[in-house]
Parts: sequence; structure tokens; C-alpha cells
Amino acid sequence: MIRLSDVWYMVGGNQILSEINIQVKAGEFVCIVGPSGAGKSTILRLVHMEMSPTRGQVIVADYDARTVHKHDIPLFRRKVGVVFQDFKLLEDRDVYENVAFALWATGVPRRRIKKRVFQVLAEVGLSHKRYAMIYELSGGEQQRVTIARALANEPYVLLADEPTGNLDPETTEEILGLLKRINGKGMAILMATHKEDLVRRLPASVVRIRQGRMVE
Amino acid sequence: MSLNLLYSMREGIVGLKRARMASVITVSTIAITMTLLGLFLILTFNIQGIAQSFRNKMTFEVFIDNSLESTDIQLLEKNIIDLEGVEDVTFISKEEALERYRRDFENDPLEIVGYNPLPPSFQVKLKQDYRYPERAEDVVRKTEALEGVDKVVYHENLFRLVYRYSRIVILVDVALFLTVLLAAILLVANTLRLTILSQRKTIQIMELVGATEGFIRRPYLIQGMLQGGIGGGIGSFIVLIIVQGVSLRFPDFLRVTIPMLLFPLALGLALGFIGAAIGLGRFLKTA
Repeated sequence: MIRLSDVWYMVGGNQILSEINIQVKAGEFVCIVGPSGAGKSTILRLVHMEMSPTRGQVIVADYDARTVHKHDIPLFRRKVGVVFQDFKLLEDRDVYENVAFALWATGVPRRRIKKRVFQVLAEVGLSHKRYAMIYELSGGEQQRVTIARALANEPYVLLADEPTGNLDPETTEEILGLLKRINGKGMAILMATHKEDLVRRLPASVVRIRQGRMVE
Repeated sequence: MSLNLLYSMREGIVGLKRARMASVITVSTIAITMTLLGLFLILTFNIQGIAQSFRNKMTFEVFIDNSLESTDIQLLEKNIIDLEGVEDVTFISKEEALERYRRDFENDPLEIVGYNPLPPSFQVKLKQDYRYPERAEDVVRKTEALEGVDKVVYHENLFRLVYRYSRIVILVDVALFLTVLLAAILLVANTLRLTILSQRKTIQIMELVGATEGFIRRPYLIQGMLQGGIGGGIGSFIVLIIVQGVSLRFPDFLRVTIPMLLFPLALGLALGFIGAAIGLGRFLKTA
């Protein structure tokens, strides 16, 4: 599903990543763990094809970062859900619109949008708040909207960049529980976090990163 | 109409409300610049008209040999018309010349000399391309060489003066118009860019969830055209009011056509579209 083979990434002579080898199989949960600035987010951005590796191979499903055409990237991204620490939600829209947005933006017909939005909101336990504005929600609820949006297009993998970074311990547990449930239904998850204790509570394979290199 | 296009139109319209303050600033900027440009266009058109009317008066007179018979006069007229650069020839008979003299100088040569001493003549109007000193002088020389021509009166200095000043007026006016137009384009493009920048997060999320570039662009292009159209429409309306005000005080002072009044609206629409495309292009590259 996801394969990074001998990946190097450099910016203006600075080495950000070197010799990265990660594999995520279908239905697998993989955590990239490391301190801030270790290069975890860069790996996720490479997988999301926001940039190309300086050296090595990044393959996600049938897409190869070295050969993928610029016009195919939007189609690829529809099949990769992303969740961020800072949620990246549209504050001027309600919960329904934020989730529906991902479907609108990818040209899904209106009737199917409504059905699918209700489905994913039920999945993350936010059906009752579908018409609430984003600023009316707690941090945990906002993150659940982000996860619902990421799931809307039925991706084959979920990328989560520090999904609990802004949340208190109780809400963190909630989100971890949700991610475990989603993974339990067969969805592959690649998550980046700096919290060592977090990964111990997850049924996940662990890749440790330090200063752009794998340490384990 | 496809659902995507409907969505883009809806988003374009709703986007105006979402970025209300930025939209008000953009529409106001476009309205002010389009009003200025609309007024400038009318001014330019009228200045060009005045300069052109001066040039239209750049004619020369051909005095005919007094002894020429009427058939020879007709032949001479044909020969002058056939000359390259001549647009029109008007015959002024001896009687008509006398009438003009009486009218212009308020005395009668018949009473002074006892007969009509004025020769018949042709007033020669040159084609547009020949209303330049060098080319006009060439036609004058060829006319002088024709049989039956007594004398050609060509006000060379006046011709050169009118030509030089009308050219300066037209050049300065066009240069000013182009400068104002360029400033308007840059101002509108930058203001629209700010509007788009205020919706940066929406664009980033669109990219994240896999929206195509065309899908991302469409609502903003529609939004740009709406802002341009509203601003331009206001500009057209203000220009109409000003023109009516001026026309009430000074009738026949301005020559204004409907396309001139619609110019701010059309340019606003076009600038809105182009400005949004430029703003979006720059932004999408850096997003």
C-alpha cells in the first residue's frame, strides 16, 4: 500500500531525511515516533505527494512520487485521508459543510454527499452536532470533524500528523479509540507523533526517527 | 449546467459574503478606477475628435486659369481627383468666390474695380493618410504641375503647426490613458489577490482533499468577475450621471456613445476575471 525505499530529502543542501524505509500494508497501523523536528511530518508530506524525494522511492497504491503526473495528484489525494494537529477546518462553515466540502471539491453528486456525510458523522459520533459551527466545538470534536472529512471519500489510507497534539489526555483517549476503531474496520493508518506513551496503547508497528534517520 | 459549475457559481456568490470586508474594498476600488477610466475614455475620445476636426480642415486651394472653358475645368477637376491622396474636390465658381469675398471682407470688388476679378477655384481635401506635411506637399506639387492651374495656395506653416500640436495632444492623451489603464489593472489585480489571500485556508483545504486546479479556480474567477462587474457597473452609472450633469449645463459639449458608457462595466468584468486569474495563479504556485 505505502512503500518508502531508501528515501532522502534535502532542502538547499540541508539534509532533512536520509535512508528512510517504511512499509504500510493494507489494514496496518504504523506509527512514526520521534521528537519535534525529526522529520515525521516531512515523511507524511512525501506520502501525500506534496513534494518529491531527493532520492529514493515513494509509492502509494499505484502512484509513484517520481512518475506521478501533476494532474493525477488531486485524484490520488481523494484516496488518501489526512488529519492534522491544527485540524485545518473552515471556521465560517458548520460541521456538515466542512465534511461535505471534501466531497463537493471532488465532484460527488449532491444526493450522495448528504448520505455519505451523515454516514461518516455517525461513524465519528457527531451526528447530533452536524449543524454546529466549528467554533462552537471542543478540540476533540473538531478533530473528529477532521477525521470524518478524511474518511468522506473512502480513502485506502489515513495519514494522521500529531492528531492528538492539541488535545487533553481524556480527549486524546477518545481520538485514539476512534482511530483504533477505524483501523479495526480495515483501514491502513500512518500516524506521526512525538508521544512515546501513546504508541504503547495502540496496536501499531513503530518506526522511530531521530534527526531525519530511522533509529529502529 | 453541470453540478460542478453550479457549485462554483454558488461558492463564488457565497464567497463574496464570506469575505465581506475584502469584497467591499475590492468593489469600491474597481468602481473608483473604472469611473476614472470611463471619464478618461470620454475625454480622450472628445480630444481626439477635436484634434481630428482640426486635421479635417487641412485643405488647400487651387486657383484656375481665368481663360479656361467649363469643359477644361471639368477635366482639371477629374485630374485633381485622380491624384493619389485626394479625397474630395469642391468647385468654387467666380460668383461663389465673389459672394464669399463680400461676406468675409464686407466690401464689393465690383464697386471698386468694376468687374469680378476673382478666379474660379477648387478646394481640395486630402485623404486621412495624406494629412501630413510631407505627403500633403507632394500632392500640392503634383497639382501645381497640372495644366490649367494658375496658382495653388497651401498654408504650409499652419498645416505643420496643426499637425504638430494635434499629434502632441493625441500622444499625451493616449499615454495618459494607457498609464491610468495600467495602474487600474495592477490595482485591481492586487486587490483581488488580497481577497483571494484572505481565503487561503479554503484553497489549501481544497488542495488537501483532492480538488482539481480547475475546480479550485472556478469559484474565485466567478467571484472576481462578480466583483469586477459590480464595481464596473457602479462606474458606468457614475459616469452616466456625470455626463448627464455636464450635458445639462453645456449641451453639445461632449460626444458620448453607449459603448463608451458601457466601457467601465465591460472592463470591470474583464479585469475582475484577469485579476483573479493572476492573483490565483501566483497564489496556487506558492500554496
